[in-house]
Amino acid sequence: MKIKRGFNQVAAIAKTDFLGVLRNKTAIFFTLLFPLFFIVIIGFTFGQSGTGDMSRISIGVVNLDGELIAVNATNSVNSTIGDTFVEALQTVNFTVSNYGEYGDPETNGTAAYAIRQGNIDAILIIPANFTESLSFQYLDNMSMPIPTRAHLELFVDPTQTTGSVITQQSILGFISGFVKQYQQIAMQQAPADMKAYIEVLTDPLTVTTQDAEITGNELQWIDYMVPGTLGLVLLWSGLNHASMTIATERTKGTFQRMVIAPVSPTTVLLGKFVSNLALVYMSAFIMLVSGILMFQVNLYWDIPVILLGIFLGSLSAIGIGLIISSLTKNEEAANSIAVIISVPLQFFIGAFFPLTMMPEAAQYFGELLPFTKLVDAMKDIMTKNLGFDAVVPEMTYLLISGIILFALGTIAYRVSLKRL
Amino acid sequence: MNDIEVASVTKRFEDMVAVDDLSLTVTRGELIGLLGPNGAGKSTLTKMISGMLNPTSGTIKIGEFCVQTQPMKVKEQLGVVPQDIVLYDYLNAKENLSFYGRLYGLTGSKLKSRINELLEFTQLDEKAVKRHVSKYSGGMKRRVNIAAALLHEPQVILLDEPTAGLDPQNKHALWQIIETLKSQGKTIVLTTHMMDEAEELCDRVAIMDKGKIIALGSPRELVKKVKMENTITVVPDKAAPELVEKLKNMQGVKNAYIAFDEDEKTQALKVITDNPDDILPDVVAAVAKDGTKVLSVQLSKVTLEDVFITLTGRSLRE
Ligand SMILES: Nc1ncnc2c1ncn2[C@@H]1O[C@H](COP(=O)(O)OP(=O)(O)OP(=O)(O)O)[C@@H](O)[C@H]1O
Ligand SMILES: [Mg+2]
Repeated sequence: MKIKRGFNQVAAIAKTDFLGVLRNKTAIFFTLLFPLFFIVIIGFTFGQSGTGDMSRISIGVVNLDGELIAVNATNSVNSTIGDTFVEALQTVNFTVSNYGEYGDPETNGTAAYAIRQGNIDAILIIPANFTESLSFQYLDNMSMPIPTRAHLELFVDPTQTTGSVITQQSILGFISGFVKQYQQIAMQQAPADMKAYIEVLTDPLTVTTQDAEITGNELQWIDYMVPGTLGLVLLWSGLNHASMTIATERTKGTFQRMVIAPVSPTTVLLGKFVSNLALVYMSAFIMLVSGILMFQVNLYWDIPVILLGIFLGSLSAIGIGLIISSLTKNEEAANSIAVIISVPLQFFIGAFFPLTMMPEAAQYFGELLPFTKLVDAMKDIMTKNLGFDAVVPEMTYLLISGIILFALGTIAYRVSLKRL
Repeated sequence: MNDIEVASVTKRFEDMVAVDDLSLTVTRGELIGLLGPNGAGKSTLTKMISGMLNPTSGTIKIGEFCVQTQPMKVKEQLGVVPQDIVLYDYLNAKENLSFYGRLYGLTGSKLKSRINELLEFTQLDEKAVKRHVSKYSGGMKRRVNIAAALLHEPQVILLDEPTAGLDPQNKHALWQIIETLKSQGKTIVLTTHMMDEAEELCDRVAIMDKGKIIALGSPRELVKKVKMENTITVVPDKAAPELVEKLKNMQGVKNAYIAFDEDEKTQALKVITDNPDDILPDVVAAVAKDGTKVLSVQLSKVTLEDVFITLTGRSLRE
């Protein structure tokens, strides 16, 4: 009886709160459409770069693969895989120019000079042992291939902040595509009894870049952004709305009227949490669907894990919101504080560009934020197609920080009940 | 049986005392008025009774339950109408009532029928019921504001200036509603700073000033406390001394005499009485007999305002 009544109260509070957003144009804008607005602007500005139109990306290739090196090999190679790799780059429409050496920025004709002049966007160095590594020419004394990785070096122009990320992601996307095809071919050609072993071997490339990250998909900038927007959703629909909800009701007096009814503080909190969570899910849904419809994002959908991640992230976002809502005097104060917190934070969570592009101190700070953990986890799930196992550390972090922040929010809320 | 017991309650806001060691008992079915100027502490007192504010010291009981220690039990029995209109302006009247009904545990057909009863009571037409509260007139909002407190049929109702800002027509409509609630046996605390409202509706009035009750009693008892009297002044075309004798002997008349105006020419008959409204027609009829014409009649009543001025030396509205 009591529980049923409690449910009914929670439902009433949640519904009223939810309608408060749906029927208020400003609230709709800030909680639901503002993040979308961001992604649309940025998506249309940068989104189409990537595999879509690679010709805008100009790569200076330093192919050292032709050089003869000493290996314990008996096979001789006619065509180098390095050349195939460069051809493939051209096939997918990157603008490719060849350089003899990386060189130095002061010497005309070197790759370093060209990138400094802005003639090229990136330099890719193919190592001398590229073909040898990829064709299993390194053998042990039993004549079995030794796992050897060729090491690609990718340099991007750090002065083009967002542009460099697009370039980097596009090239990395290409490389992972290349690797996939290579793996297929290697597996097909391998003798049946060697297949398992080959599988171990065929992870042939490493790439160092500012943030070396090889994804399973050929990524466009927008693919990379869409999972990141879930972090924005937490900030705008979670943290922001949670900060406003109680403060607004307190200013209007509806909060005082609500708590003189026989409702327990837990019931009120639950009601607010439910509506907030619904808002976050709704906002996430809008973002993801817009991403699919507008930019044809190419992502993996592990729905239960995505839902779980958003839920755990919401605990932190709403917890912070409750703290703000409870400690501020009125609606305006709550709003300003929420904005002061969430606007800068959105740049520290790796939503717009990778955290690795930030100064070191900012990276440490960003790594502490639960929102960053959600962004990381969602990128793993949605772009790399990794399973739940891969995101257990992030999820655990989200759970713990969620419990702590939500508990603090609850305490702040209870304290605030003393000064109605 | 007492429905409300306020025992030595004090409320301090930092260094200012809003309610000062105040005690008050309200019996079941009684309608008590809290009358006082702005800042007297009326709202603070009702907020403490409703559990919205905690007293700095003292205790408050509603029925057999203590507001501070058994708040849930108390809340079930209370219907609170706040001074300011407190509704969700993006919801319509029905949605607002449904929300508050559900908070008080109403569901299903019970909730529906209570909402319909109270919508009738708010006298909103069907179209208005569907519009958002933000589009309502002040009177409509006031009525919904009150209805929202009555859904769960509370025994004790706290009304904080329910008629503030209403035109006379709406005000009288609301008075009727309050009378109806009273006739249902509800215990009502009505906060106001309008004398006519207190005189019209209340069984007893507590006059508050600076956080204290400075006078308590029925409106009539309070008026009696003041050394002023209700006077009926009748100006006839000719004032005969026999007329004065006749008036003096009428029931309800305490005294009667002839007085001259400032110009010392016109004579007026002055009648002193405790219940001027009741005897006014008789007095006029008595004078108008025997061919005497009545030129003018004037009634000056002692009001609660006079009581307040006498007690504090200040007027209610400043
Ligand atoms: N939350 C508060 N913090 C500080 N002072 C307060 C607070 N609430 C009320 N007061 C002060 O307490 C005193 C009594 O206020 P209260 O609202 O009870 O008066 P009132 O009799 O209801 O007046 P009104 O007729 O204007 O409604 C006022 O001086 C007011 O300024
Ligand atoms: Mg008041």
